[in-house]
Amino acid sequence: MPQPPSAPKSSRSSVGGLLLRLLGLAFIDALALLLAYALVGNGLWPAAIALVVVTIAINWIFLDERLYPVRWLSPGLLMMLLMVVYPLLFTVYVALTNYGDGHLLSKEQVVRQFTTQHYQPPDAVVYQTTVYMSADGAFLLVFTDPKTNTRLAGTADEILKPIDATGDLPGALKDSTGKEYSKVEAMKTLRLLDRLTKIPFSDGTNVVQVTGMGKASQRKPAYAFDPATDQLTDNRTGVVYKPVKGTFTAPDGKTLSPGYHVMIGFENYLRVVKDPNIRSPFLRVFVWTFLFAAFSVLLTFVVGLSMAVVLNDKSLPFRGLFRTLIIIPYAIPAIISTLIWRGLLNPNYGQFSGLIKGVFGTSPQWFIDPFWAKAGILLINTWLGYPYMMLICLGALQSIPGDMFEAADIDGAGKWLQFRKLTLPLLLVSIAPLLIGTFAFNFNNFGLIEAYNKGGPPIAGEATPAGQTDILISYTFRLAFGSGAGADYGLASAIALFIFLLVGGLTMLNFRYTRQLEEVT
Amino acid sequence: MPPSSLLSFFKKLTRLLPVAVLATLVAPVFGQAKPDAGKAAAAKEGVLTLWVPKLAVQAVSNAGKDFTAKYGVEVSVQEVSFDSIRDDLKTAAPAGEGPDIIVGAHDWLGELVANGLLEPLDLGDKAAGFDPVSLKAFTYDSKVYGLPYGLEAIALIYNKELVPTPPATWEELKALAKKLQDGGKVDQGYGLHTGPADPYHTYPIFTGFGSYVFKQNPDGTYDPSDLGLDNEGGQEAMRELNSMVKAGLLRQNIGGSDIDSLFVAGKIAMVIDGPWRLPDLRKSGIKYGIAKIPTMKQQPIPFVGAQGFMVSALGKNKEVAKAFLVEFMADDASMKSIYDADPRIPAWLATQKAVTDPDIAAFAASAATGQPMPAIPQMSKVWTDWGKALNLVFQQSEDPAKAIKNAATSIRAQIKP
Repeated sequence: MPQPPSAPKSSRSSVGGLLLRLLGLAFIDALALLLAYALVGNGLWPAAIALVVVTIAINWIFLDERLYPVRWLSPGLLMMLLMVVYPLLFTVYVALTNYGDGHLLSKEQVVRQFTTQHYQPPDAVVYQTTVYMSADGAFLLVFTDPKTNTRLAGTADEILKPIDATGDLPGALKDSTGKEYSKVEAMKTLRLLDRLTKIPFSDGTNVVQVTGMGKASQRKPAYAFDPATDQLTDNRTGVVYKPVKGTFTAPDGKTLSPGYHVMIGFENYLRVVKDPNIRSPFLRVFVWTFLFAAFSVLLTFVVGLSMAVVLNDKSLPFRGLFRTLIIIPYAIPAIISTLIWRGLLNPNYGQFSGLIKGVFGTSPQWFIDPFWAKAGILLINTWLGYPYMMLICLGALQSIPGDMFEAADIDGAGKWLQFRKLTLPLLLVSIAPLLIGTFAFNFNNFGLIEAYNKGGPPIAGEATPAGQTDILISYTFRLAFGSGAGADYGLASAIALFIFLLVGGLTMLNFRYTRQLEEVT
Repeated sequence: MPPSSLLSFFKKLTRLLPVAVLATLVAPVFGQAKPDAGKAAAAKEGVLTLWVPKLAVQAVSNAGKDFTAKYGVEVSVQEVSFDSIRDDLKTAAPAGEGPDIIVGAHDWLGELVANGLLEPLDLGDKAAGFDPVSLKAFTYDSKVYGLPYGLEAIALIYNKELVPTPPATWEELKALAKKLQDGGKVDQGYGLHTGPADPYHTYPIFTGFGSYVFKQNPDGTYDPSDLGLDNEGGQEAMRELNSMVKAGLLRQNIGGSDIDSLFVAGKIAMVIDGPWRLPDLRKSGIKYGIAKIPTMKQQPIPFVGAQGFMVSALGKNKEVAKAFLVEFMADDASMKSIYDADPRIPAWLATQKAVTDPDIAAFAASAATGQPMPAIPQMSKVWTDWGKALNLVFQQSEDPAKAIKNAATSIRAQIKP
């Protein structure tokens, strides 16, 4: 029997491999179903549906021989969906909302908070309670009014009825349907308290609510919410609150706290454009971000390449040792290196500053002067980044065929000319994409800026949280989260999307340029 | 059947196999899942969950054991770093994953209450057992939102070998600092956070000259419309800091960790800092003393902070949580064991009176001169601009009065948008 034409012939159709694959799939499916079931149980329907769809897609890909090539791509695609596309969509969504401090909860949660609030009218009767519980966990309560010495009893479903108020209460009681409830020891009622306080007992006119262990009182709901008109009414004052951008607001402008998160359209984007506090430093921050990323790439590349060229020379003694030593900065976590450098640069106690002071008589103000703060950041970033550049340059250098240089030697080209005309262009072809990657990384190098000086020194005379060394991403952080100034996730997401577009555009330009470079060579 | 078609048949069959395997794997899950899921949710409802920083875990766990024995409610004490409790609550509680009780600082109230995350607490008769300052700190919108256990305030910490008697006035402190520096005994007579600036530690200098952040109303609440950072006193405080930098009495670029290590090394003779420094100071073996902050134009008013337990509004056991706090934590034994594990100024009066530690007593004396740090949400708008103004003066890049005026203008703009 011939194989279907689309299925390539190979050993992968062996029975053993197939069995392994099926077992793997069965395992994944079982896991996914378990997870989906848990998600549905928590009411997370969209997530559950997405999970099921993805799982079906995985099954299809791994069972249909025609989709053989996609099998190897699918984990990558899945990860991309999960780690790139999903956060991106989520950011776009959050940027359209007012999610942040004061608007953390959902509308449902906020309405529940208001409608479950009760107040005690001044003339309310305060009861002592005795709890009875049935075998299936239903409650029957006896409310004793110590002032008038009367008793009311009933369950959640019926209106409380007066019962005989003389003598001790019996160990068991029956409700109107004949179901039996047995008395719960006073000590044991505490653990039931949270369930009891939620039961709206009623004496016909008033709500009787459990207020504590053995205590209850007549109460009235403080707020009433009408889903039809979307209005919240304060029962004590009669004031009607209407929702305005996620906050219940009275006609006189008084608002109720907390608010909830709602879609507010493009307001966050407009704020970025309109608010002078945000807009005015934007240009200077943008220019510095660009310069910072560009100089970081240039400096690390120049230093890294020089080291690579030197280490590539076979006549250099102890090459292995040098190579190891030079890679050390790469092996130390960047945050630790930055903190060490901060110490070295400290004008009072830093060794590096001391050295400069010893030679030149004065040392630059690394953390106070805007220019030197920027220079300090570039110095550290060069230190952090050159080993990576050196590593990739070393690899790329070794892939350049040696006979080219022999030919150049014969033609009488000097070393410098060979480097300029042969080494550098050939190197750039393979390294240019990595340079772009480094550029994009530094464009968002939040950690370094934050660890060095938290974006400082501050800009004098301007009302902006941005500092002299803040780049776009750290500036976003300061705007959105400040120093304990509360979180504004909506605004932060809007700015993050601006940055995404900027970096995306730059990268696209870069790619176009690289393609031209490749065509030239 | 030829072997190749057998293989094909087998393959077709095995495509159905996963379904079968799956069914057998999943069947028990379905069979059990329903009662299981119900049980898990109920269990969560019956278990009192607390987020507590490391030092208080043991004391709270002990009280929890007594609580379980008496009422049959399981108590789960989870260790969470103090610095992350607030943010974790803000993320976890709305998602239904939060605890019933957290330990936190009173100045979180504004933010947490505005987000609807805290439940008011009725302390009943137990209220009388607390230091009134601590209850005032935990009062927001005339409701109490926390059960305090510790208070803290900064005071003058001095090196006894360099400073035999602590200075009573700011002028004395400066003269002494100059003498010590000129004598080459120390790097700095008095150490203050200058790089980056720290408004919290600098605040006593502001209040000593008659400034304030928000005006305190007679009832102890704060008026966010009256910002006093740039008043006459505030400007004078800024000029004072400026002249101290010029005179070499304040060094630039000194951060918090620099001050800590320089003081312990005997290179700084005096600092204004809080009781959280005690474990480090005791370990170092340095001879230190603690005194009230020296007087400027008037007695400086440091911020007083309070730590305590708060009940989450989105917890599943709110009533149980309240009962646990009021009955079991507001209690001599519990408060004593928290104090033993985490020595702060006790907010529980019985424990406070029994304190024999002179260091804690000295910090308590300083706290008595202070006011609770405002917990209103507007307070969070103050720090950034205020710190920036201080930095500009420490770095000598702007006129002191102008710097604080600019900061105040920016703060006012943020408070009423």
